[in-house]
Amino acid sequence: MGYINAILILGGINIIATLGVSILTGYTGLFTIGHAGFMALGGYLSAILIKEYSVHFAPALILGGLFAGVASLIIGYPSFRSRLRGDYFAIATLGFSEAIRLLLNNMKQLGALNIGGSFGYSIPSGMATVPVVLIALFLALLFAHMFVTSQYGKNCIAIAQDEVAAEMMGVNLLRTKLIALFISAFYAGVAGGLMGLFFAYQSPSFYSITQSSNLLAAVVFGGIQSLIGPFITALVLVAAPQLLLVLEEWRLIAYGFLFVLIMVFRPQGLLGYVEMNFNFLKRGWNKLFPRKARRGEVLH
Amino acid sequence: MDLFLQQLVSGISIGAIYALLAVGYALVYSIYNFTNWAFDAFMAFGAIMAFIAIASMAMPFWLAAILAIVLTIILSVGTEKLAYKPLRMRKAPRLFMMISAMGVNLTIVQTMNKFFGGTFRKFTVDSVQPIFIGNVSIGRMDLLAGAISFAVLALLWLFLYRSKWGLAIRASSIDIQTSSLMGINNDAVAVIIFGLTGILSTVAGVFYGIKYAVYPTMGMITIKAMIASIIGGLGNLPAAIVGSMLLGVLETLVSGYISSTYRDLFSFSFLIVILLFFPNGLMGKSGDEKL
Repeated sequence: MGYINAILILGGINIIATLGVSILTGYTGLFTIGHAGFMALGGYLSAILIKEYSVHFAPALILGGLFAGVASLIIGYPSFRSRLRGDYFAIATLGFSEAIRLLLNNMKQLGALNIGGSFGYSIPSGMATVPVVLIALFLALLFAHMFVTSQYGKNCIAIAQDEVAAEMMGVNLLRTKLIALFISAFYAGVAGGLMGLFFAYQSPSFYSITQSSNLLAAVVFGGIQSLIGPFITALVLVAAPQLLLVLEEWRLIAYGFLFVLIMVFRPQGLLGYVEMNFNFLKRGWNKLFPRKARRGEVLH
Repeated sequence: MDLFLQQLVSGISIGAIYALLAVGYALVYSIYNFTNWAFDAFMAFGAIMAFIAIASMAMPFWLAAILAIVLTIILSVGTEKLAYKPLRMRKAPRLFMMISAMGVNLTIVQTMNKFFGGTFRKFTVDSVQPIFIGNVSIGRMDLLAGAISFAVLALLWLFLYRSKWGLAIRASSIDIQTSSLMGINNDAVAVIIFGLTGILSTVAGVFYGIKYAVYPTMGMITIKAMIASIIGGLGNLPAAIVGSMLLGVLETLVSGYISSTYRDLFSFSFLIVILLFFPNGLMGKSGDEKL
């Protein structure tokens, strides 16, 4: 039972972070390879709040997410404002996450606080139970769905398809990109916080480039402009290596190979452009936003 | 003062390596409009091939370097044929090109990690006795790295601006479709571009390997080259070189006088500050998208 629980919890955490990357990379078309940095920021802040200031874990997670979101604006604003092509934003995220990781690795003291450097920072355990993670996951999924089907989400999709055309139609590029980035970093921050709660400690080694690659892989395999595709692949990517431990060292090689194969043969991913179906909630989403409008906007 | 001069020389030699890498990125970017993420894997591949040739096959340094360059050119051109060309033919969005490049990077780096091992290794190159000018000691390899890097950059400039193929490349960078209508063979241009990329990455990789160490993820330093080319100003080769020198020197001074743990954090914060005050880099033109 513990094993299934662990997979559910880790899967849920990874799905939350993946949803964030999906909003940014899948829907807005901004390539990120440094989301682990935002996870680290949110994770450490919520861990410190819980341990040192005995804040309840729910507000601590949200504060951690907000902190990651605000930090993301620090790199987002200069790189979006200068209208550098998306590539340079990707470099900025990668540089940022590596800088954060190196800093956490080498910093034993944060003011009067001992955060342990590369040994990690331990926090009380037992808070990330299956119901907690599932509730967080449900809220994350609901909010992501609401966002991508809202006018903001449509603006994001417009930017992904053609920035210049989107701007001509009156989309505020800077603001829309910053909103998408903020939400995406918020998701990463919450996921980082949950990660700490599950393992009962925070360590810079959680947030290496491998973690960022995993998140990107889930989005690329799952599909561009889809929430349900990355949802499924994120769960599979967490569960599969545990089931096939032998393949562990081949995993990243296979990821890279699959990236190329998917881009060459099925660039939309497994479930690209497939929207999640929330019909069972009977809220009339499809009446408000007819499926045709969303389906019709296929890139290639 | 002596320490300062020593740091300066060391900074310029690392700056020269950044310049090679920055130019390698700029070449691909100026024509195909995407960041060739696989580039840093080529760099590590070249360095590791040279290392293996020297360490296990006891080749002389120059022969090993030539062998590494040839192998990296094959890898680089092969990557273009298998991973980029199909996407280009389909006019795929840039995001897909980047993901494909990232995939190539992961595959190459992790394969090397598996077969070569993730440990740091030192090149066994002789004549590491430093040269003394007054009290300032200058590593011979620093000098060699700087000199060869500048020679390679000068040759590249001659090729781009004084040869017919260079003209073809510059025409393609303005508009690849029109240039192909004018009779320029796009496939040949792609082979030349990725061949040049292979040469630049290997030269940079070998010298970086001599200066520090050889390991599969050594390509991470190409982030610095990208930062340097943004600082200098995009799409402008001299600006990329100036940015690289500036970053190399400042970084070396930070690690020399403050602490090497803050070196990477410094480079990154420097980028943010530059972007805030000079959105197009120090010497760049307007970054607006060309239609």
